[in-house]
Amino acid sequence: MTSTSGMVSASTPAIEVFDVAHRYEADAGPVDALERTSMAVADGEFVSLVGPSGCGKTTLLRAVAGLLEPSAGHIEVLGARPREAKAQRRTGLVTQDPGLLPWRSVEGNVRLALELTGRHIDIDALLARVGIERFAAYYPRELSGGMRQRVALARALAHGPRLLLMDEPFGALDELSREQLRLELLRLWERERISVLFVTHSIREAVLLSDRVLVMSRAPGRIVADVAIDLPRPRAASMERLPAFLEHVDVIRSALGAPLAIGTAS
Amino acid sequence: MTTLTGGATEATLEVDDLLEATEWVALPAPHSSARHRLDWRELASTVAPPLIAVALALVAWEAWVQLRDVKEYLVPAPSAVARALGDDPSRFVRAGRVTFGHALGGLALGSGAAFILAVAMAHSRLLERAIYPLAILVKVTPVVAVAPLLIIWFGFGTAPKVLVAALITFFPMLVNAVTGLRSVDPAAHDFLRALDASRLQVLWKLRLPASLPYVLAALRISVPLSLIGAVVAEWMSGDDGVGQVILIAHGEFDTPVLFGSIVVLAVLGVTMTAVLAYIEGRVLHWHESSIGA
Repeated sequence: MTSTSGMVSASTPAIEVFDVAHRYEADAGPVDALERTSMAVADGEFVSLVGPSGCGKTTLLRAVAGLLEPSAGHIEVLGARPREAKAQRRTGLVTQDPGLLPWRSVEGNVRLALELTGRHIDIDALLARVGIERFAAYYPRELSGGMRQRVALARALAHGPRLLLMDEPFGALDELSREQLRLELLRLWERERISVLFVTHSIREAVLLSDRVLVMSRAPGRIVADVAIDLPRPRAASMERLPAFLEHVDVIRSALGAPLAIGTAS
Repeated sequence: MTTLTGGATEATLEVDDLLEATEWVALPAPHSSARHRLDWRELASTVAPPLIAVALALVAWEAWVQLRDVKEYLVPAPSAVARALGDDPSRFVRAGRVTFGHALGGLALGSGAAFILAVAMAHSRLLERAIYPLAILVKVTPVVAVAPLLIIWFGFGTAPKVLVAALITFFPMLVNAVTGLRSVDPAAHDFLRALDASRLQVLWKLRLPASLPYVLAALRISVPLSLIGAVVAEWMSGDDGVGQVILIAHGEFDTPVLFGSIVVLAVLGVTMTAVLAYIEGRVLHWHESSIGA
């Protein structure tokens, strides 16, 4: 693997995780967050990671983002080590807390990504892509949670990443905003087909958005099911009532060890 | 270790109050519109009440002194204080200017040095552990005890006064700035790290702006302290400034001049605080503390 070449062919997987495990050193003693896990995300694929709270989903995502060094195993991001991929600015990160800078306007927050990566793009066009062009001059505190999350998405896309890492991006939103942003992300992704690793608590959200859903067990986490979602694209919210959709939801729920409850799953 | 953090908490108390989570509110318009428009009626309603209160207090004071025939060396009437100020205004202006220079110089030196040290300490726990005990020692030692030493070392003139003022303003800035530089939003920090931002970029784009509310809160504590430091040093050396005017007036039982000096110092303190508040309003428009202000 010529990981330093920087050349990425279209068939290079976006993410490859080989036998990665991680143990945190806490005050009360070591905590196993992740148990020997392997997975992959193909180029242009939308993959969700679902699992109970504290199962190591975020740990795995942070390892892929190059924000933490796993205790064991090997990760390739776009054919390079996570730290190299990070240094080459090939990934974008969106977290549950949008982490916007309160002293910068929407436009200024998006510009931050360009300042750090030294790129130049039409910020107005980018804001229009996520539907916030009218709010360029607003400050984060003047925006709703949903709007702030759109800003975070625009900021993560600003430098043109090949891979988007999303850690429960809609987790703190109210149900209505959440549904709306889910559909907007769906439309954005179906237009642009950028590779996505999407961590979520919501099974329906995972099924609606993803090509594949990886199910993780309770801590220490490992992947217990890999469910291909064969629903046609473009997808729509109305698909949530299709028997095929509900079947996927049930498969994932049972993999999680949760009781079956058709129709009420979320 | 507990004693060290105890000192730190005291100085940051005001900041914590200020940072207490207020609801993020959705405003109808972006901040730029209508923010800096001057509202005369609002201005009058904020300025008039204290002015009237002060005027009434002065009238009552004057009446009390006149009617009860209070001795001037005990409590001079406001009119006597005004006369003392009016007799030789240049003396007070000169002394006030000198003291202002000492205080401002000390504030700049003390806060500046403390801030630079805070940047280093915010990046190194080792440095923090090494320097904090020394900083606490400086803090708990009464500055009045150190001032004569500084005068022996540096003689008369500007240096010892600026140094005493610097010494007294050093600690609040150090503690607040370290806290502020460390109080970065972890999600924002993650975003910068995910884009491989250097430590310098994190400092410049995240830590410094995030520390501004703390830095300005430290300055609010330090402005009156810097005046104290300057006046104490002027007392000790007795060669210039408002401290010297006080020293001489005290020796002569010239109470109206003493009161005049107090007025000069009050005007300096109020002016410096007002300038700081103005800067704060301009710089911290994004901060919770300025919502609804």
